[in-house]
Amino acid sequence: MIEILPQYLFNGVLVGANYALIALGLTVIFGLMNIANFAHGQFYMMGGFMAYVLTASLGIGYFPAIVIAVLVVAAAGVVLDRLIFFRLRAKPLISSVLVTIGLSILLENLALLLWGPKPEAIPSPFSKMPVVLGPIFASEARLFALGVTFATIAAVHVALRYTRWGKAVRATFQQPEAAALSGIDVDRLYAACFGIGAGLAALGGALLGSIFFVHPTMGGIATLKAFIVVILGGMGSFPGAIAGGLLLGISESLGTLVSSAYKDAIGFILVILILLYRPDGLFRRA
Amino acid sequence: MIGRRGAFALVALLLAAAPLVLGEGYYLHLMIMFAIFAIAAASLDLIVGVAGLLSLGHAAFFGLGAYTSALLFLHAGLPMFGGMLAGALVAAIAAALLGALILKVRGHRFVITTVAFAEIMRLVAYNWVDLTRGQMGLPGVLAPRIPVPGLGVIDFNTKTAFYYLALVVAGVCVFALRRIADGPAGRGFAALRENEPLAESVGISTYHHAIAAFTIGAFFAGISGSLYAHYISFVGPDLFYFSYTTLFLVMVVIGGKGTIWGPVMGAFAFTLLPELLRVADEFRLVFFGGLLIVAVLFFPRGLTAGIDHLSRRFGRAPDATVERRADA
Repeated sequence: MIEILPQYLFNGVLVGANYALIALGLTVIFGLMNIANFAHGQFYMMGGFMAYVLTASLGIGYFPAIVIAVLVVAAAGVVLDRLIFFRLRAKPLISSVLVTIGLSILLENLALLLWGPKPEAIPSPFSKMPVVLGPIFASEARLFALGVTFATIAAVHVALRYTRWGKAVRATFQQPEAAALSGIDVDRLYAACFGIGAGLAALGGALLGSIFFVHPTMGGIATLKAFIVVILGGMGSFPGAIAGGLLLGISESLGTLVSSAYKDAIGFILVILILLYRPDGLFRRA
Repeated sequence: MIGRRGAFALVALLLAAAPLVLGEGYYLHLMIMFAIFAIAAASLDLIVGVAGLLSLGHAAFFGLGAYTSALLFLHAGLPMFGGMLAGALVAAIAAALLGALILKVRGHRFVITTVAFAEIMRLVAYNWVDLTRGQMGLPGVLAPRIPVPGLGVIDFNTKTAFYYLALVVAGVCVFALRRIADGPAGRGFAALRENEPLAESVGISTYHHAIAAFTIGAFFAGISGSLYAHYISFVGPDLFYFSYTTLFLVMVVIGGKGTIWGPVMGAFAFTLLPELLRVADEFRLVFFGGLLIVAVLFFPRGLTAGIDHLSRRFGRAPDATVERRADA
């Protein structure tokens, strides 16, 4: 038991970092714009699929393919913000829930039409040989995903903390009207945030898709988990989303030691418990 | 001009005559599904539309009703009406317990917790194989056979017979829900939706009203699930899918939330819509998604608002009982 623990922890951190990556975008969209985006997991799915199409069908190299996939989905996010989401900002929660559910149905079935229901693996240049790090068996693909994920999370953190743009985002977070009055173009900022959120989810899909598989229906469960992470961490808190993602990933991974059948239930139970005892989530709003 | 009663009688007549026109075929099946979904949609409307609590876990109560009813039928031989009551009670008790836990804090957290609850129920149905047979589900849940004096035993195993049964049950349930929404409890729910602090200040306990609305809605969802189980004769973990909740919610919002009878129309439209979209073939669900986006963005008050508008145009005084604020 104790000797396999590091392996489960590693797997948990890998998956948890991925959850954090997806949830960072949702934190912005849900926490800042107050839009409950039930199509967020579909950005994750689109990221995985773009990476698959670019590598397997178009023969583009793995690393440029991931970059292009992220950029394409981020652009799609900006377009969708201009077309749909900006209309939802002043609307009650139920409208944003229904519209984004509609969007998720649309995107998922479009993906099914284009790609069919078969799970596909993204071809990557990594060796299949395990990399042994003491008690942990990893692989190149896993280490790469983990490194990129943490680097991206760190980059987002630095950008938010130390750049003018990040300052504008935080200001808008706290007080949209005052931010607009002091000359921040709130509409453009929202569109940019939306694009970045979509891009982060897409990166998650492309990275995890090269370790596991990509398939058109992978978005639904990703959406639910992203919501769990956002609620766990505390609505609108960036450190909260990162901690929440890791917490969920590690609990699920350790949960498989107890019962693999109920692994997915752990997040839902965690969220109910945390809401009972800490209704504001682990971290209060930044 | 036909009055409100006239219109009601006309619709009742059309519904009663439906089997004569449609025969025993697929369209009658759709009408039965409409009756079943009408209960689910109307019960969700009491929670979402009347009380303003955005529950995204209605499939949990629908599924609980179906599973309770099916298990009692298969293991204890309890016929449909007993199972229906038991299913409704189990769903209501589950809602009351969950509500007592989570309804102190409403808003976003309530929304996500209801999703989580339905997912937990699905995982239990999927994994508790000894009881539920997991994804193989429970087949053989038969329609009732009811002895009626003078007519012998009526077997509801035919579509026509089950249609009338479902129609009567749906009629009773929708009527009851409408009475609750119009009654003192319903006014308390509406107060909770419109202005919580004000409601509290005049002595309405918003916490208890929220639990009551959630529980009553779940009770009727349980009835709907039980009816479904005995009609389809099979229950499986799919009943807890988020897509059922979505479907019910779409019926509520497109029908016109807060009106109870609007969601019934929504149920009618969205049971038949997949058939109408059949021309679009494999693009069906893509269109469905697109339609949902357009409908919510541009027609947020739903079908009932459209009908109100029409009836006003044709010179009838607006119906006071229909005039509810629908933008909670």
